[in-house]
Amino acid sequence: MTEMTRKPEGTPPGPVPERRILVLLDGSRLSLETLETVADLARASNARVLGIFVEEVNLLRSAGYGFAREVGRSSGITRPLDVESLHRRLDAMAVNIRRAFEQMMAPHGVAGSLTTCQGKVAEQVLTLAQPADLLVLGRAGWSGGSGARLGSTARALVHQAPGDVLLCPAFTGGVAGRVVVLLNHDQGANHRAVRVGAELAHRNRSPLTVLVRADGEDDRRLLTDLTAFLGQEGIAATVKCLTGAGAIAMARAVKVEGAGQLVVSRGSRLFSERGAAEALLCALNIPVTVTP
Amino acid sequence: MALPEPLTEAQVYRQCPLDRLDFDTTESLEDLSLPVGQDRMLRALEFGASMEAQGFNLFVLGPSGAGKHELVRRVLASHASARPVPSDWCHVFNFQQSDRPRAIELPPGQGGRFRHDMNELASELKTTVPATFESEEYQARIQELQDEVTRRQQQGLAAIEEEANANHIAMLTTPAGFTFAPMRNGEVIEPEEYKTFSDDEKQLIEAKVEDLQKKLQQAIQQVPRLRKEVRERVHALNEEMVQLTLGGPMGELREKWAHVSAVVGYLDAVREDVVEHAEAFRDAENGAPAGLLNRYRVNLLVDNTHTQGAPVVYEDHPNHQHLSGQIEHRAHQGNLYTDFTLIRAGSLHRANGGYLILDARRLLSQPMAWDSLKRILFSREIRIESLERLYGLATTVSQQPEPIPLSVKVVLLGDRTLYYLLSHYDPDFLDLFKVEADFDDDMDRDDESYPLYARMLATMARSSGARAMDRGAVARLIEHASRLASDQNKLTGHDRVLKDLISEADYWSGVAESPCIQACHVQQAIDEREYRASRIRERSLEQIRRGVVRISTQGEQIGQVNGLSVLQLGATRFGQPTRITATARPGKGQVVDIEREAKLGGPIHSKAVMILSRYLANRYAPMAVLSLSASLAFEQSYGGVEGDSASVAETCVLLSAIAGVPLKQSLAVTGSMNQHGEVQAVGGVNEKIEGFFNVCQQSGAVSQQGALLPASNAEHLMLSSAVRQAVKNGAFTIYPISHIDQAIELLSGLAPGEPDGDGLFPEGSFNRRVADRLADFAKVGKSKDSSQDAEHDGNDPQA
Repeated sequence: MTEMTRKPEGTPPGPVPERRILVLLDGSRLSLETLETVADLARASNARVLGIFVEEVNLLRSAGYGFAREVGRSSGITRPLDVESLHRRLDAMAVNIRRAFEQMMAPHGVAGSLTTCQGKVAEQVLTLAQPADLLVLGRAGWSGGSGARLGSTARALVHQAPGDVLLCPAFTGGVAGRVVVLLNHDQGANHRAVRVGAELAHRNRSPLTVLVRADGEDDRRLLTDLTAFLGQEGIAATVKCLTGAGAIAMARAVKVEGAGQLVVSRGSRLFSERGAAEALLCALNIPVTVTP
Repeated sequence: MALPEPLTEAQVYRQCPLDRLDFDTTESLEDLSLPVGQDRMLRALEFGASMEAQGFNLFVLGPSGAGKHELVRRVLASHASARPVPSDWCHVFNFQQSDRPRAIELPPGQGGRFRHDMNELASELKTTVPATFESEEYQARIQELQDEVTRRQQQGLAAIEEEANANHIAMLTTPAGFTFAPMRNGEVIEPEEYKTFSDDEKQLIEAKVEDLQKKLQQAIQQVPRLRKEVRERVHALNEEMVQLTLGGPMGELREKWAHVSAVVGYLDAVREDVVEHAEAFRDAENGAPAGLLNRYRVNLLVDNTHTQGAPVVYEDHPNHQHLSGQIEHRAHQGNLYTDFTLIRAGSLHRANGGYLILDARRLLSQPMAWDSLKRILFSREIRIESLERLYGLATTVSQQPEPIPLSVKVVLLGDRTLYYLLSHYDPDFLDLFKVEADFDDDMDRDDESYPLYARMLATMARSSGARAMDRGAVARLIEHASRLASDQNKLTGHDRVLKDLISEADYWSGVAESPCIQACHVQQAIDEREYRASRIRERSLEQIRRGVVRISTQGEQIGQVNGLSVLQLGATRFGQPTRITATARPGKGQVVDIEREAKLGGPIHSKAVMILSRYLANRYAPMAVLSLSASLAFEQSYGGVEGDSASVAETCVLLSAIAGVPLKQSLAVTGSMNQHGEVQAVGGVNEKIEGFFNVCQQSGAVSQQGALLPASNAEHLMLSSAVRQAVKNGAFTIYPISHIDQAIELLSGLAPGEPDGDGLFPEGSFNRRVADRLADFAKVGKSKDSSQDAEHDGNDPQA
């Protein structure tokens, strides 16, 4: 059953089930395709889905200018942009999103609701998100519009979301293969990332590999700690070390493992190295879960 | 004219002298590599096989069963062994025109190696090229390329965004693109507030926005060019990597095949093609598409690895496809596909550089096969085309392989009729088949030929796995060979009949548990053959015995004589007597051939009757009108009569009817006659005489009976032992006659008589009786004419 609501800004969310999946929808074809993955995930984890469609306030304001023009993303052709037509387009988009959301959730027996709001996208999402929530961004949601791989909205959400963030590629194709968890030696065995990886592996009945990006000095201690943690948690995993590899080499290592999914902590150094996370995410066409 | 002496037993059968056969059994005789008595044909074969000029192909003509095929193969094989082994040929993919596979000529035996090398190369491509693309180096370089392009693309947009931000203008993403709007502290200014700005400020902002829009437009429109550039650079990188990967194996192959320039050229084309399709090899999991790797395979059309000398190929089903090759198709999900690997060689490909033996009749009975063969021989190249394309029935795109140069000697085997028909009706035939190798039907029988013929029979026995033959068996076979040739001085050249006879004699000797074939076994084989084929003959004899067919073998009769005829049924023939009757009365010089009137007589028979009527007129009424109306008929003959071998009998019976002189029914007559009354040779004398003998035998004991035959036929007699025994005992007499008068005297018992100076025959002679009777006819005719004239005069109104 799908519940359709339009909540005013700042309204605190009502009582929620044990876990929610928040999915950011912008009306693009790719973001709608993500709904299928979300529905599967929700069914598997018995979660409730909350769709979020935000009408960007800056965009609405910009359309109010008489000189406003829209430059086509692919063609470069310029055409007038006004409030009325923009509202019409956004309304049509909202209708499409609602239809797609209903079609995808109800037949799968997934409980869900769609929230439409106005404001700044990142702010609105962060307002709605809880620490136990999984936030799903479709490809369009995180390959930013201004040419950056990880747009400002996606970057803000990855860095600030209280819970896990799943970055979905255009087509996941049923997520086959290993679950790979990528760790950094300097941030230690990120237990949350390993747990999320173990949970995904268990859910998908896939083997688990933990790749540790180490520089060589503290390898032994790191591996000992990690092995102890895995033993303690009862997690069966293959542990491998990557020595001083760059983003591309890491991407290849992940491919070599036959990865179907990747889990990485946002505390990882990748996110602090300029462009490294973008390069890794771009080179991999698999779902990536970023843990806090 | 003196009567001829009856033939003796030795004259009606020529025995093979055992002392000419210097061996006990044929086991001690060496094989004969070439047949006896075929010198003309062998010289023609030798010439045709050696002659290199165009159009000197061979046509070996001769009767079926003469052993042409085996002999031609043997002669050509001995020729071919001394000639060089021809080249191997293969078809490979044509990278310029994919529907026209190229043909490559290779030294003999190297085609298989070339095919193996190319298979190895294809396997190597399957692993090494993907490995190259998986290499760190390649991945890093590709990444560099992509990064650079992405950077350039992003730089363009980022620069615009930065410029916008620097001017307090926000660059925002819309559902389908980008837009610009003035901002403050990262927030777009409310349009209402903007209205409060001064005109200068507004002009400044709007000009900047317009400028940014143009720049953004330009930057976006650069993207396709950037993408194209990256594609080109990736392609160039792929080429570079593949060139490096292929360098080693290609270099080795080029060096190995440096002696065949066509192969070197092909290898270069393969390298270019692999480079061009490098990206298709990138899929490390599934490998390169099979269709792509198939292009580097070699279709070995002609493999002469195991060929010794020039090839000698016999095509037993010479249709168009089997001769010129064909392009097969593979069915896949209801569709038919083909490529150069499905081109199949024809027998002309396999025989290229050697000899191709074909059966002319089979060739001519296959649609388009003869035309195709001629076209290929004229053009001297083999072009594979399907029959449906030749007929214009198919217009679908198909493979058109490069034609292969042809140098082949075609040997056609056929009977003489075919040769003469082709010579007459096909203007191309004599241009293409200039050498005629004519098989002799038989060979001379003399003292020198006995040992050779015996060796030939020994070779046949050995080749058919029969037991050895003793001297008697060989002698009996030689005698039978004469009988088959219907000539005491000839031996048959048909080896199929002899081989079959040897095999049958071997069977009977096996039944008799004899260690070798003896004369009795040969005789048994001959008798059994005759018996197996005797149903019709027995029925015919039964009809005569029961009087259904009326034949007299005793007594005398006016206007009736026993003629002799031969019936051919399948492979057997036998003789039987036929009653010929004649009537005579006054008339206007006509001899009515009843057979012809009833359309049962053939043209030769009609001619013979005309000759005898002219003979009668000339002999008995040279200076007067022949007043005769006579008729001749073959009694109880319903199947038609042809030939002139009854003309002596017809003349005798007609003269008997005219003269009223009875003829002996104990004698049968055969022989043709010319206008002067001379008797000429006929065919089938053995069968005819034996046929009459059998009739005499079944009507009681043979006694005082016999046959008249042309003297020139005496040397054709090889009569059965029963006839010979009767001849020896004097119970059956055979007279060789050379003139009609001899036949008349023997049949009538009256001297024929020679005309005197006035043209009158002696009193009481047979001819005098004929002349007198004709004179009587003339008188009767004349008086009838006079009375008719008087009657006519009396009625004339003018008189």
